[in-house]
Amino acid sequence: MPNRNKYLKIFFKEAQEHLEAVQKGLLTLEKEPANRALLRDLMRNAHTLKGSAKLVGLEEISAVAHQMEDLFEEVERGRKEADAGVIDLLLKGSDAIARLIAAQINNEEPPFDVDKFVLAFGRGEITPDLLERKAEEQKGGGEETVRANVKTLDNLINRLGELIINKKRFEDKIVRLKGLCGRTADPVFAPALQGFQRDLEEDVLYLDYLVQELHGDAMALRMLPLHTITDGFERMVRDLSREQGKLIDFRVTGAQTEMDRVLLEALKPMILHILRNAVDHGIEPLEERLVAGKPPKGGIEISARLEGGGVRLDIRDDGRGIDPQMVKEAALRKGLIGREDAAAMDDSDALYLILEEGFSTRDFITDTSGRGIGMGVVKKNMERMKGHLTIASEIGRFTEFTLQLPLTLSVMEALLVLCGGECYAVPLSYVQETIKIRSEDITTVGGKEAISLRGVTVPLVSLSALLGLPDGKTLSKSGKITALVVALRGQCLACTVDASLESSEIVVKNLGNQLKNVTFVFGATILGNGDPALILNVPDIFARAEGGASTGFRTMIEERQGKREKGHILVVDDSITTRTMERSILANHGYRVEIAVSGEDALEKVAGKRFDLVISDVMMPGISGFELTRRLRTMDDYRDVPVIIVSSLATDEDKRQAMDSGAQAYIVKGTFDQGTLLNTVKAFIG
Amino acid sequence: MTAEKKPGYDIRSILEEMKDEYWQGLSEAEEAGEEQQEYITFVLGGETFAFETVYATEVIRVPKLVKIPRVQELIAGVFNLRGEITAAMDIRPLLGLPQPAISATGRIIVVKSERFATGILTEKVEGVTPLPVNGLEPVITSLGGAPREYIRGQLNLDGRLVMMLDIAKLMNAPEIVVEHNP
Repeated sequence: MPNRNKYLKIFFKEAQEHLEAVQKGLLTLEKEPANRALLRDLMRNAHTLKGSAKLVGLEEISAVAHQMEDLFEEVERGRKEADAGVIDLLLKGSDAIARLIAAQINNEEPPFDVDKFVLAFGRGEITPDLLERKAEEQKGGGEETVRANVKTLDNLINRLGELIINKKRFEDKIVRLKGLCGRTADPVFAPALQGFQRDLEEDVLYLDYLVQELHGDAMALRMLPLHTITDGFERMVRDLSREQGKLIDFRVTGAQTEMDRVLLEALKPMILHILRNAVDHGIEPLEERLVAGKPPKGGIEISARLEGGGVRLDIRDDGRGIDPQMVKEAALRKGLIGREDAAAMDDSDALYLILEEGFSTRDFITDTSGRGIGMGVVKKNMERMKGHLTIASEIGRFTEFTLQLPLTLSVMEALLVLCGGECYAVPLSYVQETIKIRSEDITTVGGKEAISLRGVTVPLVSLSALLGLPDGKTLSKSGKITALVVALRGQCLACTVDASLESSEIVVKNLGNQLKNVTFVFGATILGNGDPALILNVPDIFARAEGGASTGFRTMIEERQGKREKGHILVVDDSITTRTMERSILANHGYRVEIAVSGEDALEKVAGKRFDLVISDVMMPGISGFELTRRLRTMDDYRDVPVIIVSSLATDEDKRQAMDSGAQAYIVKGTFDQGTLLNTVKAFIG
Repeated sequence: MTAEKKPGYDIRSILEEMKDEYWQGLSEAEEAGEEQQEYITFVLGGETFAFETVYATEVIRVPKLVKIPRVQELIAGVFNLRGEITAAMDIRPLLGLPQPAISATGRIIVVKSERFATGILTEKVEGVTPLPVNGLEPVITSLGGAPREYIRGQLNLDGRLVMMLDIAKLMNAPEIVVEHNP
């Protein structure tokens, strides 16, 4: 999340106000238990706290606020009385939140076990020991650990990378020294020089051994077990399934499998997305499962294991599966494929259509699914991580996503090639072979060059032309050219290069924030001579080489969007955290944004102006977001203006209400990130 | 008797005075510092430019620059800055300046923002010097829109013009960040 700290600061301030209001309000409520207005205010305080906390990623605070909100609701509905016990419990809840915030501000661990607290709150009995600091966990195990700063760790790896490069330089020098040895026949000097060369060789060999060991140790420091990210999933699946009234048994096996911390961080949102899809689309409602003769409890399982030098993750649900026919139809409707393509495509290939950008089987946009962007992001991320994603499914039985990933991204085997006078590194995992071809080997297929490789026709492209380098080197005089054959998901592509140099273990460095969004290149390494060499991103090369339809289409859309002026948006929310965040995300992307603090305020604002889009919260003082939408729909100017509901309410009932009121999309705050909001807004007004 | 009481009182008031003087001295020093801030001066498109040294982390000879495929022209390439891959920018087109070839006198000034460190290609670095910024004149109106954005004004030093670059603004300019999807 961009500028999370900034939002955290706003949240802390907002939370402070809500907590003060809650504490004061509770004490008043104790004296006036029949004060309904006060009760509703308190409920809204808790509700806003819950939503805002979730929005800034403070799940624990959100969980406590959620409990409080539920309890307020029970009192409001008359199921419980606002007696001393309940008030006391609620006060403890608000104290707990205050302490969690204080800990968060001081960058400390939560001062008590929040999960246990939440459970106890639900039971209504909070014992003093629950509020104590957590007992030291994992005392056993035998191995002592220290806490290390992530930055220090990264620096350590960085320096080690430098050391490896330095060692390589030594090796180069030995080769030069060997050459020098052969040049002299001096009876005294030559043997001395040879002896020196051998000694040096031995020293460098030992240095090499030490560096390798050290690198191995340092890399191990960066490795974390998978459960560091999966632990949170259980809760998510439980909450989501409860919201949807489904029974789901969620299991993780192989959670001890270790991976590079950086990879784990990138993996988390992908797994989350696949899990959401599994809960939302995969697992059937209870009645449907019973009718189908399935066990009432649906199962979702993540299993991880080491395989082929990397990690393999299977995410499987025993739900209704993916219907390739439905997928094809949806892709047809969205114009992602043509009718002939659809007819020619076999069922297992059709499944991969769900990864295409813009794919969706639902017309109403909800946060958990149906936006038609999520799986596209998964695909992109997998490519960035040099991983492979496969999908298997059988209708009525299961869906399984398999993610194959390298253990780490910081060191990889790569082939160095020369192209347009520069040295590039190509990850070896994509390289199939390098070949020499003569001009007569080249045929043209549909106006494009291709070669025949063991009976298979492979497109031939010039790498330098693809990269837009000045010299798109033509055929050399000898008539032979070197081509690099790269493979991606079973497809091959031959790229002409000036020369193929050597394969070597390279240290991957990222390009930093300024060049984060560069295409064709995902990082750089430093060569023995100290110069950088770019590491090519093979999927980008495939995308560019395929050119034609897809790339042209996309640029066309982008051009069209660029020309049009970005829209004018009204953001309606009573929470300052949400407002500020939404406003800054949208404004940063060129939209004009205005703010309303309540439904009534929004109605006043729309009266004089024409907004292109309205984004509204649901629970606000005064009229709700649903009511606001209904009223907008009665106005001539706003009958067709898209309304996006952003809320922390996530039940199907709420989504239905949103739809009934006339809203076009529904985003839940917890899952709310920059991409979701922007993509949804883009989908409506570009 | 009164003499006995007085010393204590006096010492306290003297201490107070000393404290006041100390603080006053500090704030004066700060003010003086603001007037006499140090600037790094360098040549772009044949003209002399300057910005506050606090933004510059180092000045280096121009190393081998590796071109990044299909990015804006402003990004001249990347280089190895002690193990960190760093971009070098040619900001002359952004300022509407001509681009004479960078010769042996060419230097890269490494500047650091909150988000990243980056290099600015210059034809020559003249030095580090305090400049009387009180005499800053507004940017000449003949200058176009984009260049005016990043130039705070000019100083006339005995007939020699020094353009004051708004480096903080430049570092936040969207133009210098690669943000596209071809």
